[in-house]
Amino acid sequence: MMFNNFLIMLQNRWPEIMIGTWEHIQLTLVALFIGNLIALPLGILLTRKRKLAEAVIGITSVFQTIPSLALLGFMIPFFGIGFGPAIVALSIYALLPILRNTYTGILGVNQAVVDAGTGMGMTSRQVLFMIEIPLALPIIMAGIRTATVMVIGVATLAALVGAGGLGDIIFRGIAMARQDLILAGAIPAALLSMIFDYILKRIEIAVQP
Amino acid sequence: MKKITLLLLCILLSMSITGCSSFWEKDTNTVVIGGKNFTEQDILVYMMKGIIEEKTDIKVKAKAYLGGTNVVSQAIDRGDLDIYAEYTGTALVSVLDEEYSPSDPEVVYEKVKTIYDAKKQIIWLKPFGFNNTYTLSMRTEQANALGIETFSDLAKQSAALRLGATHEFLERIDGYKNVKAVYNMKFSSPAGMDPGLTYTACRDSNVDVIDAFSTDGRILAFNLKVLADDKKVFPPFYAAPIIRADTLKKHPEIGEALNLLAGKLTNEEMMTLNAKVDLEGKSPQVVANEWLKAKGLI
Repeated sequence: MMFNNFLIMLQNRWPEIMIGTWEHIQLTLVALFIGNLIALPLGILLTRKRKLAEAVIGITSVFQTIPSLALLGFMIPFFGIGFGPAIVALSIYALLPILRNTYTGILGVNQAVVDAGTGMGMTSRQVLFMIEIPLALPIIMAGIRTATVMVIGVATLAALVGAGGLGDIIFRGIAMARQDLILAGAIPAALLSMIFDYILKRIEIAVQP
Repeated sequence: MKKITLLLLCILLSMSITGCSSFWEKDTNTVVIGGKNFTEQDILVYMMKGIIEEKTDIKVKAKAYLGGTNVVSQAIDRGDLDIYAEYTGTALVSVLDEEYSPSDPEVVYEKVKTIYDAKKQIIWLKPFGFNNTYTLSMRTEQANALGIETFSDLAKQSAALRLGATHEFLERIDGYKNVKAVYNMKFSSPAGMDPGLTYTACRDSNVDVIDAFSTDGRILAFNLKVLADDKKVFPPFYAAPIIRADTLKKHPEIGEALNLLAGKLTNEEMMTLNAKVDLEGKSPQVVANEWLKAKGLI
C-alpha cells in the first residue's frame, strides 16, 4: 500500500524529478570540469615544484574543512544566488581529491622507470606523458572518482541557494516532513553517483596502457 | 588531576540536577509563558511577562524559543505552559486541522476561540492587533514602477518576473500551489531556497518576488513591499495570547493585564520591533520592555 502510494507520487512528480536530475547532472559536470581543469595541471606542476606542494595542498584542505553549507552561504555576497555560487563552491570541493591524488600518484611512480626514460633520451615532457601519467593513472582516476561522488552528494545542498537540482525535492520533503518526497530526491542522487562512478571506471579501464 | 576532574564533574552534575528541580516544581503563584522559535514570539513572551509582572503580583517564568507550533501547543495542552501567543490561522489550519475558506479575520478568530474553549479548555484573549500572514513581497521600487499593489496585479505580469521562495512555501498545498491556482500565476520556474536567503535575494535583485511573513523586520529594512492578498487565499494570522482556562480562573487578573496589550501592535510596529532584534542585534527582552515603557504600560 505504502509502496503503491510512493509509485503514484513518483508518477505525479516525474517531470519534476527529471528536471531535478538534469540540473543535478549539469551542476556536477560543470563543477567537475572546472575542478579537473584546475587540479590536474596544478597537481602535475606541484611535482615539479615540490617546495610549494605542502602549502598548496594545505590550502585546498582548508577549503575542504569548511562545511559545505557555510561555503555556499559565503558565496552569496560575491555571486548572488543560483547556478553561479553553487558551481564555484562545488568546484572548490572537487579540488582536493583530484589535486592530492595527481600529486601523490606521479610522485609514487618508480624512480627507476623515470631514470630509464631519461637515460633513453626522453625529454621531461615525454617522461611526463609517456611514463609518469600513464603509470599514475589509476591513482589519478581514483581521485577523480572520489571527487565525483562527493560533488554529487554536496550538490544536493545547492538547492538552498536557489540552484535547483535534486536537493530541491529533498528539501521540499524535509520542509513537509514527507519521507517519500525525500526519497524521491535522494534515490536518483544515489543512482546518479553510482552511474557516474561506473562510467569513470570504464574510462579508467579503457585508457589504461 | 583525574580526581579533580571527577570532582568537578560530580559538582556539575549535582548542580544540573538541582537546577532542574525548579523546572519540575510548580509554584501556585507562578505562571509559565512559552514561545515558538522565532524572534517575534520571543518579543511577545517578554511583553506578556512584563505586563503581568507590572500589573499583578504573579511571578512569570519565561520559556522563550521552545520549538515549533507542535511543541508549544502540546505543552499548553499538557499544562507545562499556561500562556503563549498563537496565530488564528495557525490554530485553525495546523492545530485544529480545519479547512480554511476565504473569510474575514473576525470570523476565523471567533471560530478558533469557540473550538479552543470547548475542546481544549484554552481561552483566547484579545488579539495584539497585527497580522503575521504569509504573503508575497517585492522591491517597492519595482512594484511601484510596474503598478503592482495586489496579488491579482502581480498575476498579470508574473510571466516576466522571477519568484524565489522557501521550499516549504513551494510545496505546501495551501502555499504556492494554491496561490498559483487561484490567481493564475505564471512564474516560469520558481527558485527554491533557504528561508534565510529570500529577503536578501529580493533586495539584491536576484529574484523579483518572494514569499514573506508580513511582520518580518527585513521588509521594512530592505524597502520591500507587501502585496495585498485580494482574494484572501491565505488565512489571517492575527496573534493573541492564549491561556489555560484553569489558570485564568485562578488568576483572572492575568487576563485583564494581557488584554491591556490588545490592539496596541500594528503590523508596522511589530515589524520595527522584529527589525530591532534581527537586524540591530538587540535582545528581545530589552526591545519588549522598551516598547511597554514607550506605550506607558509599565
